[in-house]
Amino acid sequence: MGSEPKSESAPDPPVAVELDGVTKRYGETAAVDDVRLRVREGEFFTLVGPSGCGQTTTLRLIAGFEEPTSGTVRFGDESVAGVPPEDRDVGVVFQSYALFPHMTVGENVAYGLNFADPPDGVTRDERVAELLELVDLPDAADRDPESLSGGQQQRIAMARALAPGPDVLLLDEPMSALDARLRERLRAQVKRIQSELSITTIYVTHDQEEALAVSDRVAVMNDGTPEQVAPPRTVYREPATRFVAEFVGDNNVFAGRVVESLGEGELAVDVDDGDETLRVAPGGGGDAGEGAPATNSPEVGDRIAFCVRPEHLRVASAGGAGGGETAAPVGENTLRATVASAEFLGETTRVTLDWGDRELLVRTVDPLDGAVAVGFDPSDGHVIDAEQR
Amino acid sequence: MTDHDGRLSRLGEWAEARALTALAVLTSAALVVAFYYPTATVLIEAVVVDGAVTLGAFAEVLTDPFYFGELARLLSGESPVAVARALLSPDRRLGIVGFTAYQAVLSTVASVALGLPAAYLLARFEFPGRRTLRSLTIVPFVLPSIMVAVGFVATFGENGTLNTALTTLGLPRVELMFTLEAVVIAHAFYNAPLVARVTTAAWESVDASAVETARSLGAGPVRAFVDVVAPQVYPAVLTGAALTFVFTFGTFPIVLALGGFELVTVEVLVYRLVRDLSYAEAAVLAIIELAVSLGVLLAYLRYEARQSTGARGARPLPRRPLSPPAATLRELLPRAGLAAYGVVAGVVFLAPIASMVLASVTGGDGAITLDHYRFLVERQQTGAAFQVRPWPAIRNSLAFATGATLLALPMGVVVAVLTTRRYRGRTLVDAAAMAPLAVSGIIVGLGLLRGLVFGVEIGGWRIAASGAAAIVVAHAVSGYPFVVRTVSPGLAGLDRSLVESARALGASRARVIRDVEIPLVWPAVVAGAAFAFAVSIGEFTSTVVLATGADAYTMPVAIERFIGRRLGPATAMGVVLLVVTGVSFVVIERLGGDHRGL
Repeated sequence: MGSEPKSESAPDPPVAVELDGVTKRYGETAAVDDVRLRVREGEFFTLVGPSGCGQTTTLRLIAGFEEPTSGTVRFGDESVAGVPPEDRDVGVVFQSYALFPHMTVGENVAYGLNFADPPDGVTRDERVAELLELVDLPDAADRDPESLSGGQQQRIAMARALAPGPDVLLLDEPMSALDARLRERLRAQVKRIQSELSITTIYVTHDQEEALAVSDRVAVMNDGTPEQVAPPRTVYREPATRFVAEFVGDNNVFAGRVVESLGEGELAVDVDDGDETLRVAPGGGGDAGEGAPATNSPEVGDRIAFCVRPEHLRVASAGGAGGGETAAPVGENTLRATVASAEFLGETTRVTLDWGDRELLVRTVDPLDGAVAVGFDPSDGHVIDAEQR
Repeated sequence: MTDHDGRLSRLGEWAEARALTALAVLTSAALVVAFYYPTATVLIEAVVVDGAVTLGAFAEVLTDPFYFGELARLLSGESPVAVARALLSPDRRLGIVGFTAYQAVLSTVASVALGLPAAYLLARFEFPGRRTLRSLTIVPFVLPSIMVAVGFVATFGENGTLNTALTTLGLPRVELMFTLEAVVIAHAFYNAPLVARVTTAAWESVDASAVETARSLGAGPVRAFVDVVAPQVYPAVLTGAALTFVFTFGTFPIVLALGGFELVTVEVLVYRLVRDLSYAEAAVLAIIELAVSLGVLLAYLRYEARQSTGARGARPLPRRPLSPPAATLRELLPRAGLAAYGVVAGVVFLAPIASMVLASVTGGDGAITLDHYRFLVERQQTGAAFQVRPWPAIRNSLAFATGATLLALPMGVVVAVLTTRRYRGRTLVDAAAMAPLAVSGIIVGLGLLRGLVFGVEIGGWRIAASGAAAIVVAHAVSGYPFVVRTVSPGLAGLDRSLVESARALGASRARVIRDVEIPLVWPAVVAGAAFAFAVSIGEFTSTVVLATGADAYTMPVAIERFIGRRLGPATAMGVVLLVVTGVSFVVIERLGGDHRGL
């Protein structure tokens, strides 16, 4: 396993794990449906999606706990069909940690060394000490796993998985049993260990924030299929589908019909909800990553859906109880709405607005109440799909 | 609200707040009257002779080769080398205690050997009827032992189904009656399902993630089993083995019925001594028996305390289909083993019951007949007063079982509530409440007979109960630990915040038990009731001591009276007992409403 630092400009490293049209059916239902993924060496790759969308099954197919119904899993360029888990050189950390309750922490970490010599020619004991050091629990070797806190157990499970020096580290919701604060600390630690060892890591989570925070690339899964595979920033800024737009972060999705082309890529759209015509400039779009459907530039008459992030909606109090036309300027695309509820989050306030029959989400710094005006720049609108809805 | 109402409701609150304490006191009092006091009066005779405390009786028994075999010589001061040599010689003597332990060890080995494949089948394979089969493993445990004995006589007896089958096949007949083999197999019939149950439960609680982790770390399937599954399962196997040893060490009806005159265990001898009115000797033996049983249980509990295998399977191991998915050796071999096991299990578990039913409708000439049932009816109509008649036996069994269940249920629930809460001395309370499981039924029966039935004088008042009442009490005492054992796990598994929510909403502790805990563990309470009822219906040991009059005998006692002379009517009576027990189970389940199985 190499340890040279990654550089942005270097050519893509070779593929470590590849899923080629992999499908896994349980009876009638497909838990994983024709998945095509390539995870590169040293990459921190995350499968994210609502619970039960096939991420865990995908991980289990890679680990060898399940065999695909059809399609091929490759490690490097070799198929691992029929290769049992013990011969795949993977390390797995489960949601339940699955520490062996009848062994000490040290015995747990050393377990994999029964079947593989420690890397770098160190002794078993040295290797165990090295890993306990790595996860910041140097004195835990003689302890009983059950005497450890949840976060400590998670780190031991991580040390155990890494001890034999696996090629790929598989993490299945390893933090979902922990509280939010601890989760943030541990995910930073997981990320640090991953980049120190530059080990190929596939991480399963249902927490999109976690996925954005740690990953080099993210695959957003829905119904057993990745809807978008891209770096976190791309997934956030240029969601490929409505599902991705709504699952990753807060979003306001508008659907409507293009009524006019205003030049320079700007479109006028008659929005379905509310009797408004909004202007949106899809821009270049850029690389939305693998899995993103090719979006042709929409033409007049097309139905399209586009989204605007809450932080891109500008909002100002509409003033006076009389509801006069005294709204502060909020840019183009001005909508009139009323405050329904507000959640104070510290840095910002997440405000839900009633706009006609539907809701809009905005983020503000100042408190808001009553009638408001909302606006956004056409260039902040991102067209999700011309075929969508 | 008027002032009067206010006082009343305050009184109500006061009573409610103390209801739990009151129930606990009542339960303790019942245990003292029905168990501790009577047992103590009998056991005290072991050390008090003519008003003086002495260990002479113990010394006599301990050094008597009749009881302790070659070991007695060691206890009386002979050189260990000589004793060891004698023990290794072919004509060694084990003595009664030695033999009892020997047959208990053999029975334990047989039960584990028969129980483990069943656990493997139930925990690792999926097939239609798996849940039913799993529930059925509880059945042997509550089958009346004397009925099982009849079934074994009908199977392995001189003219039993086994010999009939062998003759038909032209094979030599076997003589299993009154042999150690028959006793051991009968014990396995009882205890192998117990071993299977506890082992299955442990196996199912092994986290599949742990096995998968071991696999991903490089262990093959066999190695992962040895390193991860086995260490988490074998404490359960030991639990089953320890319980089997204790149960079979104190065995009574099986050996009485299947052992003839040659095979005598401690409990059988205690019974004979009691009949001959040698109470002191009986008490000494009972204490020794109790000491061995408790010793094994304690050693086991200490071991269990050191094992800290948390049994919270996040995700159980997947089950494999019973029909092989592929015709490979790896898939076929375990299934072939299970098929072979199925044949053995059929002979051990099904043949006795089937043979009993068959024998009850088979005449001396081998033809199908209802003569045995006709005999029962005739006996009912024309039997003399001193003879055992069927109807009173059925009526008594049902009446005693109903009474015992009504007593055992509240006692069991109260003890379950008390022992699932955390406080100092809880283990002691638990042990004190469970003691009836370990003490010889003969001794409890004898204590009740000489205490309650013959009468106790307290402050000039003479208190005496009828034999029937004493039987109900004895049955309740032997049945309530089963209520505790079924209800406790449910209570312990309840989310504490449910109780706390109810208390925060203003309910008293007793009110919470009534409104929240009991309804949530209701299926377990119903199961406990069914257990208590079945234990009472099948109880033989203390009943045979207490049922002195012609008015108090039960079905098991009636069967025992028949078994020596007439196997036919005994099997017919056995079938009646089987039907009554079965129907009672169904009725209790129906009355109890929704019952999700054990």
